[in-house]
Amino acid sequence: MNKELSSFAVRLSELIAVGFQNESFGSLALELFTLQFQNNSAYRKICEARGLTPQVVEHWTQIPVVPTGAFKELELTSLALDGRTTVFHSSGTTEQKPSRHFHSAESMAVYEVSLWNWFKQNIFENSEIGIQNPEWLVLTPSAEQVPHSSLVHMFETICKKSGGVRAPASRSTFFGKVGVDGAWILDFEAVLTALSDNSKLKTQNSKLILGTAFSFVHLLDYLAEKNCSFQLPLGSCVMETGGYKNRSRSLPKTELHALITKHLGVPLESIICEYGMSELSSQAYEREVRSQNSEIRSFQFPPWAKVQIISPETGREVTEGETGLIRVFDLANTFSVAAVQTEDLGIRRGDGFELIGRAQLAEPRGCSLMTA
Amino acid sequence: MNLPNYFLADLPPEAPLSPEMIAAACHTLKRNREKFLRPRPTEEIIKILCEVAAEWLSPENKFRKLALKYGPAETGFSKPVLEKGLDGFFRRFTPENFRTLLEQELGHAARLDGFVGGAMARGPQLLVHIAAGNLPNPAIISLALGLITRSAQFMKCASGTSLLPRLFAHSIYELDRKLGACLEIAEWRGGDAELEGALFAETDCVTATGGDEALTAIRSRLPSQVRFLGYGHRVSFGFIAREVLRDDTIAEIVAGAVDDVVAWDQNGCLSPHVFYVEERGAVESDKFAALLAAELAKRETVEPRGKISVAAAASIASKRAIYEAIAVHRADAKIWASQNSTAWTVVFEHDVRFQFSCLNRFVFIKPVPDMAAVLRGVDEFQGKVSTVGIAASPEATASLALIFSRWGATRICSLGQMQNPPLTWRHDGRPALGDLIEWTDFEL
Repeated sequence: MNKELSSFAVRLSELIAVGFQNESFGSLALELFTLQFQNNSAYRKICEARGLTPQVVEHWTQIPVVPTGAFKELELTSLALDGRTTVFHSSGTTEQKPSRHFHSAESMAVYEVSLWNWFKQNIFENSEIGIQNPEWLVLTPSAEQVPHSSLVHMFETICKKSGGVRAPASRSTFFGKVGVDGAWILDFEAVLTALSDNSKLKTQNSKLILGTAFSFVHLLDYLAEKNCSFQLPLGSCVMETGGYKNRSRSLPKTELHALITKHLGVPLESIICEYGMSELSSQAYEREVRSQNSEIRSFQFPPWAKVQIISPETGREVTEGETGLIRVFDLANTFSVAAVQTEDLGIRRGDGFELIGRAQLAEPRGCSLMTA
Repeated sequence: MNLPNYFLADLPPEAPLSPEMIAAACHTLKRNREKFLRPRPTEEIIKILCEVAAEWLSPENKFRKLALKYGPAETGFSKPVLEKGLDGFFRRFTPENFRTLLEQELGHAARLDGFVGGAMARGPQLLVHIAAGNLPNPAIISLALGLITRSAQFMKCASGTSLLPRLFAHSIYELDRKLGACLEIAEWRGGDAELEGALFAETDCVTATGGDEALTAIRSRLPSQVRFLGYGHRVSFGFIAREVLRDDTIAEIVAGAVDDVVAWDQNGCLSPHVFYVEERGAVESDKFAALLAAELAKRETVEPRGKISVAAAASIASKRAIYEAIAVHRADAKIWASQNSTAWTVVFEHDVRFQFSCLNRFVFIKPVPDMAAVLRGVDEFQGKVSTVGIAASPEATASLALIFSRWGATRICSLGQMQNPPLTWRHDGRPALGDLIEWTDFEL
């Protein structure tokens, strides 16, 4: 194990824990680039091919990025073979070749510090929600069932760190299962029991429900079919993440949130969207921010991960309000590659972005594909 | 643009269409057809079509000028690409070509005018076209064939794509108002149940181009007596045989391949996604790819690719980024790409499996040991392949054609002609004119 990377990881974790200062990002990013260039051979080759070495890179925005797709093809890691204790795969049941993000105990520690601190700030310390000692309902399978899911590892981590309480009648906080085809499905009956759990009691605990957008669609469809609605206690909160990945019908976000409010009684301001992926170790949460004198909703990464919105046509950063590909420089990706180019489109909003989503396989404008 | 309001598509965008307007338009079309179109002889219709085409080929023609002026913004094709595409297309409108088509599809050129050898052909009363995309050729040829079969026609264009069919219909109207009065062009977003319900209630034959899902949806909404001609999603590729990869022929081969990629910015189903290149030619396959890239760069200066959406650019940028990373690590993968734009991309890789290109001038070059490897590579797409563009010796071409035909490709042509099908082209393997008509047999 490379000592310099290890000590960087420890230092970063400490900085995150005490409140990361924005100003330190630039120099840390350059320092990390140098270390990754030295220790990550697959990455070094890409940098060298582009002529971008630590000797010539002067600003974090010049650090060579790797596309998320390259995590499928290459071993983008500084970890030696025997140091890799965990690997996270990109989601999607149909993918023949998933992305691989390798982790060791040390890199996992950075991942956990990063995800926990930003989650905490956005959910637990979010005064609009006012959540306190909630009961946890996670709509994914447990990590035991899906050990290669970085999302589920995140849910497990925050559950553990916050001392997650399960609903009294439930055996677990995780309500998902893996179906025969490998797809994630929900134990509807168990969710229903957990939701209606202590409805006869006078004082109810608020609930924190975490899940993917498609798991919420599955749940909401089920509740609609059963003609069933809940009014969850004040302070309850929903966090939804990820796209639909063809695992359910797709709903526009406003429609999904309206249905969540309708069936679970959670107000819109307590529904939080998260943006993350297996190739990153930090996540973005959507929140109200002030931009050019107006309040807008925008996804914000933590200060130890910076985002740029890049014009796919020119490769340059777009201006405010323009659409481009989301690029993230994530210091918590300490042992892999910090500079990651996603395939997701976003609109630049302040120092965050409004998420549009995966750049669809462009359909030909010609004769055969488009009747819309 | 100041075109007179002849067609529904001429109405300002703020004027909403109603089912009643669609039904009324259909009734008018049918009446006009009875009066003005049905009695006309085939020869006369062909003469008018050829005159209209000749006018479109003249640089001074006002409809051509409008197409070239507004086309780039409306269709996303640059002016030179539109110019070349339209010219190649309209040049095929000759009396000889139409006669050959009639003879091919009906056995005799006069069978739409009366009985010949005990058989007479008749077109639908009201032919409806559900046109898709910005590529004008399929829409315009549909209108031309419909006129030849003396059908009143209602063409529904996808939103934002009616400009060129509309200009073509205006050019017919200007030359022969009575003929133009048998055409209607409208534009709305597909799937509008009310408008389409009104339209489908009036028609006896519908042609549609689009994805499989869209076609299935349209078919399910048609009354049972309505004939449906659906043209689904097809892909195309090229094959370049070892014997023509020589220093004295390579320039011509490369130019042909580039013609196929540049035409309509590779957006038609006749455009190649992949070129399979036989290994061990005097010019090796990677050299071919490099030459192709250089030629694409050169073409960009004279026939620039049109403006594309952010989403389309994003899929090119994403694909490129992955191949750039792969190319650094594997000696057998290479990529060439335009700088500071997504204008063109060439990816060279050894995997023989057919790959969907993100189009807009993004092409795969895949070296193959032989023809058998090509068939293995495209195996998954059997029944979905439209055109195979071939560059090979004349002897080899004949046997390759036989192999690809038996395999199920519906069109085999020379490299460089993939986006240039003749009037007699059988669309997706079906007789384009022959499928429109019904026969009467006279057995007395």
